Amino acid sequence: MTTPTDPVLPATRGRRARQWAFRAWALVALFIVVAPAVWLVAGVVARAVPHWRWSVLTTTTAGTGGGLENAVLGSLVLMAGVLVVAGSVGVMSGIHLAGMAPGSRPHGRVTAVARLAIDVLSGFPSIVLGYVGYVALVVGLHWQYSLLPAVLVLSVMVVPYIARSTETALRQVPAGYREGADALGMPGGYALRRILLRAALPGITTGLLVALAIAGGETAPLIYTAGWSTGLPSAALVHHQIGYLTYPIWEFWNYPLASARTLSYDAALVLMVLVLLLLVAARFVVARTQRHAEGRRT
Amino acid sequence: MTTIGTGAPTPATLPGRGGRPAGRHSITQRAARILRGREEPAWRAAARIASIVPLGALAFTLTVLAVKAWPAIRVNGAHFLTGTDWRPGSAYGAVVRTHGVAHPAGSSYGAWALIAGTLQTSAIAIVIAVPVSVGAAFALTERLPGWLARPLGLAIETLAGIPSVIVGLWGALTLGPFLAQHVYPFVAGHVPDVPVLRYFRGPTGHGEGLLTSGIVLALMIVPIIASTARDLFAQVPPLPKEGAQALGMTDAEVARWVTLPWVRSGLVGATILGLGRALGETIAVAMVSGSVIAIAPNMYGNMTTIAATIVSQLDSAATDGTGFATATLAEAGLVLAIISVVVNVLARRVIARSSRLGLPVGSAA
Amino acid sequence: MAWPASSVPTRAAGPESPLLDPVLQALDPDRDRPADILHATGLTLGFGSKTVVADIDAAFPRGTITALIGPTGSGKSTFLRTLNRMNDKVPGFRRHGDVRLDGSSIFTPDQDLLGLRRRVGMLFQRPNPFPMSIRDNVVAGVRAHRIARGKQLDVVAEQRLSQVGLWDAVKDRLRDSPFRLSGGQQQLLCLARALAVGPEVLLLDEPTSSLDPVSTETVENLLRSLTPALTLVIVTHNLAQARRLSHRTMFLFDGALVEHGTTEQIFESPREEHTQRYVTGRIG
Repeated sequence: MTTPTDPVLPATRGRRARQWAFRAWALVALFIVVAPAVWLVAGVVARAVPHWRWSVLTTTTAGTGGGLENAVLGSLVLMAGVLVVAGSVGVMSGIHLAGMAPGSRPHGRVTAVARLAIDVLSGFPSIVLGYVGYVALVVGLHWQYSLLPAVLVLSVMVVPYIARSTETALRQVPAGYREGADALGMPGGYALRRILLRAALPGITTGLLVALAIAGGETAPLIYTAGWSTGLPSAALVHHQIGYLTYPIWEFWNYPLASARTLSYDAALVLMVLVLLLLVAARFVVARTQRHAEGRRT
Repeated sequence: MTTIGTGAPTPATLPGRGGRPAGRHSITQRAARILRGREEPAWRAAARIASIVPLGALAFTLTVLAVKAWPAIRVNGAHFLTGTDWRPGSAYGAVVRTHGVAHPAGSSYGAWALIAGTLQTSAIAIVIAVPVSVGAAFALTERLPGWLARPLGLAIETLAGIPSVIVGLWGALTLGPFLAQHVYPFVAGHVPDVPVLRYFRGPTGHGEGLLTSGIVLALMIVPIIASTARDLFAQVPPLPKEGAQALGMTDAEVARWVTLPWVRSGLVGATILGLGRALGETIAVAMVSGSVIAIAPNMYGNMTTIAATIVSQLDSAATDGTGFATATLAEAGLVLAIISVVVNVLARRVIARSSRLGLPVGSAA
Repeated sequence: MAWPASSVPTRAAGPESPLLDPVLQALDPDRDRPADILHATGLTLGFGSKTVVADIDAAFPRGTITALIGPTGSGKSTFLRTLNRMNDKVPGFRRHGDVRLDGSSIFTPDQDLLGLRRRVGMLFQRPNPFPMSIRDNVVAGVRAHRIARGKQLDVVAEQRLSQVGLWDAVKDRLRDSPFRLSGGQQQLLCLARALAVGPEVLLLDEPTSSLDPVSTETVENLLRSLTPALTLVIVTHNLAQARRLSHRTMFLFDGALVEHGTTEQIFESPREEHTQRYVTGRIG
């Protein structure tokens, strides 16, 4: 993509200077973007690894020390809850927004209102959602700090994301699939289940995985809905506090006790690995389908 | 086709008249037919419910916020938007009533410092993030070979997924102290004493404060803007670019006259989206802002934002027996929600318009 | 080469006889049905404020191939897609007038849309196999309509693939992706899929425009073999194809049906000057 520089062009010096300034700016900018990312990951690893004990994963938190088993399991339980609640609502909303649900019309008024609601929700600051969860569910409904309000608040946060990625994935399904299904007289829901959703599945899966990563890395809305527990998570939906990985990071990072700070760094490392695994899995799904799609070209 | 399965009819008799099903069906076929009759209504109902749930959640959230904030709005009045005092009053002192709303004696809430802090940090983040992101996107799409650009692009996208509490941890423990030791003193000592730049002079603190918060926020929104910009640049069709190159334009000029105008509204949308994220970011800012409810005296001064204040004060607000502190936080949340939602919806609409204009009309339309 | 107009199957009304009627009925189930399987009357179609096709009357005799010809934008495809109501979901679609299938309107509210599309199948410009195995593609419609199940599906798949001449080429890779087949083979697969549900009418929207000449000939021969069991309506830009393949030809121009007659008549002795200029390649 390099342009051959022509020495006989007029005003060459000024143009060449601007040319080099432009190239330098682009490369410096890229460095400024990438370097902190590397520094950040390296920094988190460097703080956690020197004191790392594998027992962190198998013991529960004791006061300001101990392990993180309760937090890891709690985070997984929360994410599972989000997958069930936000996953079902989000995917169905996405189908609706894409105009592919039987009886839904992509340009109808119901769809427009649903889209506006999702746009507004996606811009809602997570701490404000956490506040509402706290005053309305934890205090108002007397659920206390527990699993259910935490899952609901996290779900409201990520439903817009899931709905949009589902919509995008469905819109990218070749129009011919739908036309072919229509022309065969397949019922709308049947075509959706057998053909359209199947074709959009990689995109939807990626959206779900990223949504889980977002939910798993959230802190602000959880502090006032999930509470914190040093015990392992139970099946109770309400009245029982639950641990999660972001809490020790936020609570212990500047604690005047070395053991507490170590716990904070360990939690940061575990959380980062967990989130990166989810994101890499999402990448992997995309990459696999892209290979598949290339084979599809006729 | 009742003959199917009993042998291969000759092709000539296969299609055509008489090809419609006659009345004969096995019991399982009939059962399947009934089940299929249920499938369509089930999809219909599920889609209808799922499209109503987000709307319900939104209405619930807004209602709770408004109801909770209403007493605070009545008592705090316009002072809430302009005042800079934030006094909960005495939790054990007398309770007084204003406009019929009970609140502790001596309580007075002015959120201007929080609002200003929110706007300042977000502005700093945008000023840093936009040129850096656009430059990085140019480097990725125009300058680097694919084998290098692809992994770097992935790394940037992945950065968007790093939890904000981890970014905050790194900002507070590593980046902030580094800047306070090696960068801020240098900048503060060399900036001329003229308007605007004067704000960069003065004591540089320990790494917590306005500029560090802005930089950390910039770091968090760069992935959003950079990856959108990269996708936008990649979508600019090659023909106009080649045409400009054929005129003898340098790649700087191609960028200036072809690529940037082509994707402008998309970039604006991505920027507003990043702004929305910066406005609502909570934990990272709470960890690096210094958490002081005041307007920062200079770029290094301690301050806070609306979101950071809510997260750090909600538990102590519960000690206000009149519930007035909690109500005031609802009012702050309402202000933040209004700002972020306006910004976000604006961004979505700008992006939606640009993607209609900028991209070739797809066959799916 | 156009087929002689006399070879167009026509149905004379039989003698009224209580004794003979059941016999005749058994010999010819279509005896009591209208001779024209599809009949459009006063059909006006448009999107939003734009009218695409105006006031068309056209009949499609049972067992014939009708070609729709005309320049791009003349409304051929819109008209074709209305015959199995594929335009219903297009935003802003408007329709006046009626289409009758075997004498009953396809637009009545209680019309079973899915059943209609089963009776009136469609083949598209570009092959559009589903992202499932070759075998599953053939039986996709059969499964949806619960026409057959289990082992019967394999029988259906073999029959239909044999019918379109694809069986030998794919019998060893029925579980493979259809996307590795050539364009022509994919289109044959889509034809097999459409035939598998047992349609009475097949609508074809430029079915060979994305195929090479050899595949085109294969598809054309196959289409010819489908009559008189099926009734075919084909939109084509290829005048030679219309002439080779069809019994009857409709010439549309700018949303109006300019001329409609036997293919021989349209190409050899067109009544309208417009038609004359189009079929001789002077406008288009």
